[in-house]
Order: sequence, then C-alpha cells, then structure tokens
Amino acid sequence: MSSKATIYSFLFLGLAVTALLIVAPVVYAVSLSFYQMDSFVGAPKWAGLDNYTRMLSQWVFWRALINGFIYSFGTIIFQVVLGIGFALVLNQVFPGRNIVRGLSILPYLLPTVVVVLTFKWMVDGSIGVLTTMMSALGLPQVQWFESPGAAMASVILVSVWMWTPFVTTTFLAALQTVPSSLYEAAKVDGTNAVQRFFHITLPMLKPILTVIVLLRAVWMFNKFDVIWLLTQGGPVGATEHLAILSYKQAFGQFDIGGGAAVATISFAILSLVVFIYFRLFPLDTE
Amino acid sequence: MDEIKKDGLSRRTLLKGAGALSAGIAAGGLAAPAVVRAQGTKTIRFLNAETSIDSIRALKVAAAEYEKQFGTKVVVDSVPLDGIFTKVTTSLRGGTPYDIATFAFVGHVLILAAEGQLMPLNELTDKYKWGPNILFPVDGKVYWYPYDYNLAWIYYRKDLYEKNKLEVPKTWDGFLKNSQALNGDGTAGSLFPIGSNGATNWLSPGFMWAEGVQLFDDKWNIIFDNADMAPRASRYLDFFGDLYKTMPSGTSQASFGEVLSNFTSGKVAHTAYAGRIIETIERNNPALADKYGIMPYMDSAGKHQAVNHGYDGWVVLKTPQSDEAMKFMKWFTENQYINFLHTAPLHFQPPRLDVYDDARWRAHPLIEKHNAAVEMMKSFLTDKNMILTSIDTQGPSPSLKPGKIFEAFVFPEMLQNKVLKGMSSAECVKAAADRMRQVIAS
Repeated sequence: MSSKATIYSFLFLGLAVTALLIVAPVVYAVSLSFYQMDSFVGAPKWAGLDNYTRMLSQWVFWRALINGFIYSFGTIIFQVVLGIGFALVLNQVFPGRNIVRGLSILPYLLPTVVVVLTFKWMVDGSIGVLTTMMSALGLPQVQWFESPGAAMASVILVSVWMWTPFVTTTFLAALQTVPSSLYEAAKVDGTNAVQRFFHITLPMLKPILTVIVLLRAVWMFNKFDVIWLLTQGGPVGATEHLAILSYKQAFGQFDIGGGAAVATISFAILSLVVFIYFRLFPLDTE
Repeated sequence: MDEIKKDGLSRRTLLKGAGALSAGIAAGGLAAPAVVRAQGTKTIRFLNAETSIDSIRALKVAAAEYEKQFGTKVVVDSVPLDGIFTKVTTSLRGGTPYDIATFAFVGHVLILAAEGQLMPLNELTDKYKWGPNILFPVDGKVYWYPYDYNLAWIYYRKDLYEKNKLEVPKTWDGFLKNSQALNGDGTAGSLFPIGSNGATNWLSPGFMWAEGVQLFDDKWNIIFDNADMAPRASRYLDFFGDLYKTMPSGTSQASFGEVLSNFTSGKVAHTAYAGRIIETIERNNPALADKYGIMPYMDSAGKHQAVNHGYDGWVVLKTPQSDEAMKFMKWFTENQYINFLHTAPLHFQPPRLDVYDDARWRAHPLIEKHNAAVEMMKSFLTDKNMILTSIDTQGPSPSLKPGKIFEAFVFPEMLQNKVLKGMSSAECVKAAADRMRQVIAS
C-alpha cells in the first residue's frame, strides 16, 4: 500500500468515526427540534419552526441564556487569573515544589459528583462542617444557596475550584517553553517582575491563553453536571442555563422538540462566539 | 516491514486475520440469541426502580422461585427512579424492550399507553378492591398495577407536644403557633422543602390542597388564579411565608434525604413524609420510635384535611414476551406481593384494601408495632372527606398536563418567589398561573 493510500485510509477512518459519533448525533438532535414529540416512543409530528418560536418567546429561555453567560464569564475569569497566578508560583524554585505541583492538580482529578456532594454536605445549613465551625466561632451563617446571587456564586466557586488546576497545569507547561535568556536580558535592562510578566510572559503565552480561554468558554457554557448536582438550576431559576433548560424541557416536560430547539440554539450561539473569537484572536498571527 | 514478511506475517495478513476474527466474534454474538431460543429457555426482563437491598433481594428471590416452578427466567435490572422512563423508552427504541417496568408517575404510563406499548392489566386489577384515585384508567382500561401509595402526611414530635402542653392543630394558625413554640434550643419548628425538586412538589403543597385549591377546570383551563382559587392560594403562601421562619437553614436545598435526616435525628419538630420516616427512625434512632405522631395537612379554617398523593406501580409492555410477563405478574401479585411490600413495610402502603386484613401482611413486626400509625394511614384512604391529590394528579382525568407542571417545578418556584425573593402572594400566584399556562401549551 502506498503512503498516499495509507494516509487516505486513516483519513477515511477518522472521518467515518467523526461522522458516526459526532456529526450524526448533531444532525439527529437538530432534526428533532423540528418535530413535536412527547417521548422517543411513537411517531413524531412535524412542527416546523414552532419549537423555536415557542422557546424564544419564553422568558425562561432568555433567563437561561443570561445565566449561561454570567456563569461562563465568572468561571473563566477566575480560572484564568488564578490559574496563571498559581502557575507563576509553581514555576518558582522552592522546597517541596514537586509535591505541591502534584497536589495542585488534585481537584481536577476528583470525580465531579464527589466534589459537589462533599461541598453540599460541608455547607449544609444544619449539619455542615463549615456551618458548625462558623457557628462555633460566632460568625454569621453564610446562606450558600438561599438567594439567587448566592447560589450562582456558589456554583461558580465550585467550578473554579475544580477546573483551575487544568489552567494552572497548562500554563505551567507553557512557562517551561519561555527562554530564560529573555528574563535575564530584561533583568539586565532593569525591569521589575510586573514588567517582565506583561512584556515577556504574557506575550509568550498568548497562543496558549487564546486556546485555554476558548476551551474553558465552550466547556463552561455547556457544563451540566456541577449545576445539576448542586442546584438543579434553582433557586428561582437563578442557576438554570441553556443546558439545564434543554434537559428539563426534553426529559422533564415531555417536550423533546423544545429541548432539542434550545440545544440547537445553544449550539448556534456557541459556534458564533467561537467564530467571532477567532476573528478577534487569530492563532496564526505570524 | 520486510522482517515481518519473513516471519510469514504481513500487514495484509494481519489485517485479514483481525477482520476474520472480528467477523467471527460478531457472528457469534448475533447467533447467541438464536442459541438461547433453541434451548427453549424463556426469559422475561423486569426493570425495577426500588433500589433498596431488601426490595431487590425480594424480587430476585421471587424470580428464582418462578424459574424453579415454571422454567421461565426472570432477569431483574434495577435503576434509580429518575432514570426509569428514559431506560424504558430507549430499550423500546433499541429493539430490546423490557417486559415489565416500574413507574412512579402516571404521565409515563399515559404516554406509553397512548402509543399502544402497554398491556391492559384489568384481569389482574379487577379481582381486588382498591383505594381511591390509584388505578388511573384510560377508557376503562387499567394499564398499571399499583403496588403502593406513598402518601405524604405531617409528622410531629408527640413528646415535645406533651412537654410543651400543645394540642394537635386543626388550623394553620394552630400549626404555626406550635411550630413557633417548638422552634429553638437546637430544634427547628418545621421543615417543608422549597427547592426545585420532587421533594417540594410532594411534601409542601398539602396545606394548599386542604384549602381546596385546584389547578384545572373540567376543560383543562388553568383556574389557579381565578377569583375563587387565587385567594386560597394567596392565603397558603402567606401562611407558608410565616412557617418558613421556623425552618432550619438550608431548607432551600432540602430534598428527601435532608427531610428524613432532620426529623429522625430530632432536629425538627414537624415535617412531612410517607412511612419511610418511621422505618428510618427504627433503624437510626429507635429512641424516637414512640415519640412521633402523624396527622393530615389541615386548612386555614379547620374544616378540611388532605394528604398529598404518591404512588408506584408496575406496567407490562407489549413485547414478544407479553404473555409470559402477564403470567409472571399474575403469579407474583398473588404469591409474592406481600413479601415485596414487607421490604419497606410502612413506606409501601398497600393500595389493595384486602391487604389491610391480610394476617400475613399484618404479621410484620414493624406493622404490628406501629399499628396506630398504620390505622391512621388506612383511614386516609377510607375517610370520604379526606382530600387525596397532588400536582401530577390534578385535573378532570389522568393526563400529562399536570405532570408537565410537576416537572417544570412551578410550585417550588412559587414558594421560592415568596420566601426568597419576597414577592407578594398575589404576584406569586399570578406568576405561577402564567407559567402553568406556558408549560401545558407545549
């Protein structure tokens, strides 16, 4: 077999797998959004664009969209800022650095359900360890999920705790590629640490920063498990974003078409955001 | 590459061999059902949603006994209730449907019945007298075999009532005063969940039903905010807003587990649940076993009482094994049903009224010990004045519409609007009614 044939056979295999596992489900999901269905059993009825107009006319959709943006921006900003900060610290030489580096990835390794349930029990209003400790210290009790704002903050907090290590590790790896001669030359020129960060580190890390922000944005916008396990979208819908709304609509309210329409709109919004993002921050700047 | 060829194993040969092996495995896999059929072994697949060890064990023991007696294998799979409908529908779509399944929501039964996927079970149900509002017939056909009621009623701490010289309340005012009196010293006055979850839908609207609130008229119009219902619903919200002040921190996220643990550990003086609380007290805190009392939800004027509906049942799906599944269900419900009920003796409240007089059922130690509670549970079914309803069973006939309202968590959000956002009761009622209309329109 010629090398060209080998390349084509692998290419075909890759395309086939992509078509089967990614393209086909997406096409199927999009097609569902044009039908009215109570469940996956029985004949669907053609609904045209009714599901879209119905969902777009409901205030719960717009609330979910806004919640999704708040959650995504909130988590990305904290994850990136903290991730870079931790990476810079872990890039320094200090005793026990390897152990600390190992520990820093721990939250990312834990299953989501473990993290969320542990957090919920820790802050439980009656028997949570944090509640009990704060009470013993005479501090006022924090209402973690009692108000819409507090619930969103709690969801962001847990998400940041879980996924900041991913950002830290990626940036730490990227920091190893920055030539030390650049820092030495800058030091000779009399720059301070802040100037070195903004004029050497950050420009050198820009490509990785672009990818990280994009990846985190996509993942957080679609994040389902943390929010579902923590709040199921409550209270008063304050943490219900499009992924949660889509699930509730399809499987809770027996409206498969409506749920698929929400998911399709979410997909379209995300695609548009990615397109704009790459126009603003192209990877191939050279 | 050349070296491989020397050994007589070229890449082409390797690929051919792997292909042949894969084809062989695939063919073997495809042939497997034929082999099973050829052996003449009949197999029924039973999807169970009661995931306690005792319930699973009882089903597996029954399955083994049935196979021993009749030679038909019964495979029992268990999944949590939340995932049961998805599992049943995907198994239907996948061409390997379950023959019997557990459902806890009448809407699921109605969907499958409408699609012609269920066997009518009248031949099994017609033999018995049943409690109220439990068979959910469609055009005279019963599509499920209800195995329990999970009615929600109010639990209170009898010992604290005696210590504080409190009377069992007949009105909301009385209940509120008692909750306020018992609030403090490490015990919260009451706990009724408000989170967007099934626990809130099940445990918190009971007061509203006692007040006579209804969601639909006979033509499925939402009447929750009309001139008759809106004042009742508003009164309920005003009462609930005051009651919320006696509840522990964390109530906004409380679900079934928190309700159970708070009452059984003595942290709240009032809550609501079905018989599971008594079983949990016996297991985790036996000191409380003679210190609780139960009562129905009451209205504001002391005229009406209610319990919140809850239920579970089995359906038989139309599959190539339907006849076998029907035979098994007939045998199981006649011979093993009481054993199954005994796996949660107080939580699985029998919907078949004959069971209350059955000495085998009565003989369970917990049923004997908690006879007073059991008698009251039975009276909830036999008292003609008792209101027995729930969000998902509201309306003139069994339908998916109230189920959509249940699953959209309209009521939890109404309670949250009242107690977390501080909206006026009238605004909360209006918002909830608007949302209901939106939800049932889909």
